[in-house]
Amino acid sequence: MTPGPFLLLAAVCLTAGIATGPRRPRLWTGLSVAGTAAGLGAALLGLLGAPEWEWWSGFPVGGEELHLRLDALSALFLALLCAVGGAGAVYAGEYWSDHHYPASAPRGRAWWSALLLSMGWVLVSSNGLHFLIGWELFTVSAYFLLTLDRTRPEVRKAGWLYLAASHAGTVCLFAFFAALASRTGSWELGPMRDQLGLAPLLWLALLGFGVKAGVFPLHVWLPSAHANAPSHVSAIMSGVCIKMGIYGLVRFSGWLPVPAGAGWVVIGFGAVSALLGIAFAFAQNDYKRLLAYCSVENVGIIMIGLGAALLAAAQGDAPWGRLALAGALLHVWNHGAFKSLLFFGAGSVLHATGTREMSRLGGLWQAMPWTAGLFALGAIAVSGLPPLNGFTSEWLVYLGLFDAVTGRGPAAGGAMLAAIVLGMAGALALASFVKATAMIFLGAPRTQAAVRAHESGWTMRAPMLGLAAVCVSIGLAPVLFWPAVARAVGVWHPAWSPTGAPAPLFTLGAVHLVLAALLVAAAAWLWTKAQVNGWRRGLTWDCGYAAPAARMQYSSGSFAGIGAGWFAWILQPVRNLRRPRGLQPVVALRLEYVPETVLERVIGPAAEVILQVSTTVRRLQHGRLQSYILYIVAGLAALSGLVLLGGTS
Amino acid sequence: MTTVLDLFVRLAWWLLLAPLLPGIINKVKAWVAGRRGPPVLQLYYDLARLWQKGVVLSTLASPGFVAGPAVAWVAVIGAALLLPLGPAGAALSFKGDALLMLYLLALARFSTTWAAMETGSAFEGMGAAREVSYAVLAEAAMITAMLSLSVQTGSISLLTMLTPSAGAGAALLAAGLFTVLLAENCRVPFDDPNTHLELTMIHEAMILDHSGPPLAAILHGAAVKLLLFAVLLTEAVLPMGDLSPFGATGALLAGVLAVTVGVGLVESFLARFAFRRVPLLLTTAVLLCLFALLVAWKGGAV
Repeated sequence: MTPGPFLLLAAVCLTAGIATGPRRPRLWTGLSVAGTAAGLGAALLGLLGAPEWEWWSGFPVGGEELHLRLDALSALFLALLCAVGGAGAVYAGEYWSDHHYPASAPRGRAWWSALLLSMGWVLVSSNGLHFLIGWELFTVSAYFLLTLDRTRPEVRKAGWLYLAASHAGTVCLFAFFAALASRTGSWELGPMRDQLGLAPLLWLALLGFGVKAGVFPLHVWLPSAHANAPSHVSAIMSGVCIKMGIYGLVRFSGWLPVPAGAGWVVIGFGAVSALLGIAFAFAQNDYKRLLAYCSVENVGIIMIGLGAALLAAAQGDAPWGRLALAGALLHVWNHGAFKSLLFFGAGSVLHATGTREMSRLGGLWQAMPWTAGLFALGAIAVSGLPPLNGFTSEWLVYLGLFDAVTGRGPAAGGAMLAAIVLGMAGALALASFVKATAMIFLGAPRTQAAVRAHESGWTMRAPMLGLAAVCVSIGLAPVLFWPAVARAVGVWHPAWSPTGAPAPLFTLGAVHLVLAALLVAAAAWLWTKAQVNGWRRGLTWDCGYAAPAARMQYSSGSFAGIGAGWFAWILQPVRNLRRPRGLQPVVALRLEYVPETVLERVIGPAAEVILQVSTTVRRLQHGRLQSYILYIVAGLAALSGLVLLGGTS
Repeated sequence: MTTVLDLFVRLAWWLLLAPLLPGIINKVKAWVAGRRGPPVLQLYYDLARLWQKGVVLSTLASPGFVAGPAVAWVAVIGAALLLPLGPAGAALSFKGDALLMLYLLALARFSTTWAAMETGSAFEGMGAAREVSYAVLAEAAMITAMLSLSVQTGSISLLTMLTPSAGAGAALLAAGLFTVLLAENCRVPFDDPNTHLELTMIHEAMILDHSGPPLAAILHGAAVKLLLFAVLLTEAVLPMGDLSPFGATGALLAGVLAVTVGVGLVESFLARFAFRRVPLLLTTAVLLCLFALLVAWKGGAV
């Protein structure tokens, strides 16, 4: 069986989805689920042993013949795309319904299908020109999805920033593919590791794909885009779209020769993204921005694994590179699953309360027990804690790094630092997600909006349950997922041909299984014991204070105070302080928020300077004919001077 | 059969021995201060009493308030079982178990802070915020210590990593790990387990609202964690592999006792630091472990 028919079915369903989406919501959901299921089938075939699938057609698109290819690496990303795409389509039915958004919901359905179709196209196309066309379509579809609610100015602003940043990246990719085509004489893509002259092109790819992946400091567009998009769109943007940048990096660092030093650059940017991304996340008060910054951290973890693999490949194919890359690729799936789950959960909270401020929420577990439980599961997974999937992939990356250190090769120093950064990022992720879950779901409701919250319906809960199941199964049975990842590693670097799962992974899976059973059993035991002993409910003790008010609870800003203080040099928090005055103070205020520092302190001022220079230069162009004639005369005089001076030949 | 027996003996060591340590610490503190002090077995009595008591739950608390302590307890004991016990080895040993141990401790931290945040009390929020923030530096120190042991032995499995002595960097590693022990177990100078002022506490502030069996689980888990760090420190520094089984057992017991008495002495002679100085001390711990790593790196052959 080949993936071809499945891919065709998926393409037909999604195209039909574009056509029928605006008017037939139920049919559209069915088509989306069928299309993504077919795509998932194709991806699974590609991952579970079908030989690499290639398809040529004489039919030219844009002057180039169609050439499609599905190998294990693209199948890995295709599987993620289809899983999140299908789940998001089901979720959107209730979350962004025609009833609530009569104007934008029909448009949103069509763009959703277009987004899935164009991302799938990028993954299977094996021609530089077609890759670029798909890339551009996918960027634009994501823009229209992001700005569905375009009546709000901050959404328009975020969309504009996203579009501008994406195109800055796309410029690099145009240069990359054009240079590649001109050097090889064809737009065809494929393995060309032996053409050593192509190596410098990878720097362009690194820049272009790095913007899409949201690597620090190229991530400036990401927080506002992911925070302001509708939550199902945030889920696919965080879970899948930024992974397309990772796909590009992995794909072309595997196909092209790698310049010396690229491994160091990738692991370095990975470490910076991991640490600073999560530091920014910890300091946020908007839970969707927190999730967005956390994506920067997870992209950093993936880049650490990829960088380690590049270093290993450069040092005689050391086997630890395989572990690190396998960890990174597994983390692509894991992050896709738990981050989509968390964004769906965030959407559910937003749907119920209408606010993204953690300091206005609290105590939601009573009204929304399902969302609270599933969000907590996602939080444990994203903090990289056993027995869930986040730990499994981080553990593989750690193994690669530790093996690099004990191997005492030239990469050992970098691997040590990367391991320490990974540990600190993990601890900060834990802090961020204790904060987020506690502020949203625990304690007492801080505002009326939180009091009035309600649980979302089944069509929003079912996709979350599905993604939670993925998180649990990758955590408890990592061995089942190893063959797929190992095949993708083998495609990336043929020297690391797929092998059976490493023995420690079996043990880890077994330990996770036992641990999960014991955790549940212990919790149940303690619960029963408490019940048998008898319990009663009382006011929170709060050191004897008899009349606690909800606003007296620890707030998200105070919770992050210590950690944010350490990173104040980069976070640059903006404070608005009004001290209590007089004997009977009436008003006191302390507001603090963390801006997107790179954007507001670096890129913003730089753009101002460019704008000022251009305004100054524009004075030359004013429509006065005399002056234009003067310019021409001056120009001619300068040219004649140049000819006279250099005219010796 | 033998494996089951082995597991039970091991569990007995961890579960039954652990509550002794806080008792010894308190005895040392009392002795230095010239008091009689509570009995060494006081924590055992406390645990037995708490286990029988009823529970008062905050009106705001979700089921996670009770599940949190249970999860933390299982996670700490799971981490303890991965640690080898001198000549007896570990219950389970595989490549990468050192990292699993660290992350199980992190899982315990997640669930205790979660349970603390359940009540909506600002004091417990303060405690939880301090716990997760200082853990960032403690985690860096622990990973560095693990790297140093890995470099020393060429392995990522606790059984092999802890067999030889930490070599030339042993003193540095011991100092670093001891500081982390004090921080992670919320002892003076990071936290004062005896203070009566909630504003200045970390661990005790987080468990203000717990009572009955869940509080027993928390206190017992904390004792197991202290024993875990004491065993880890002893085995990292002493050359367990070079000793005879009896010698190794004796060395392990003596080491754990020495660490416990050391904690007691530190608590007797030092006051709790101001919170702004805590990060400095923890950074020192990271640096000590980092120097131990460098010594191990330069120190020679695997």
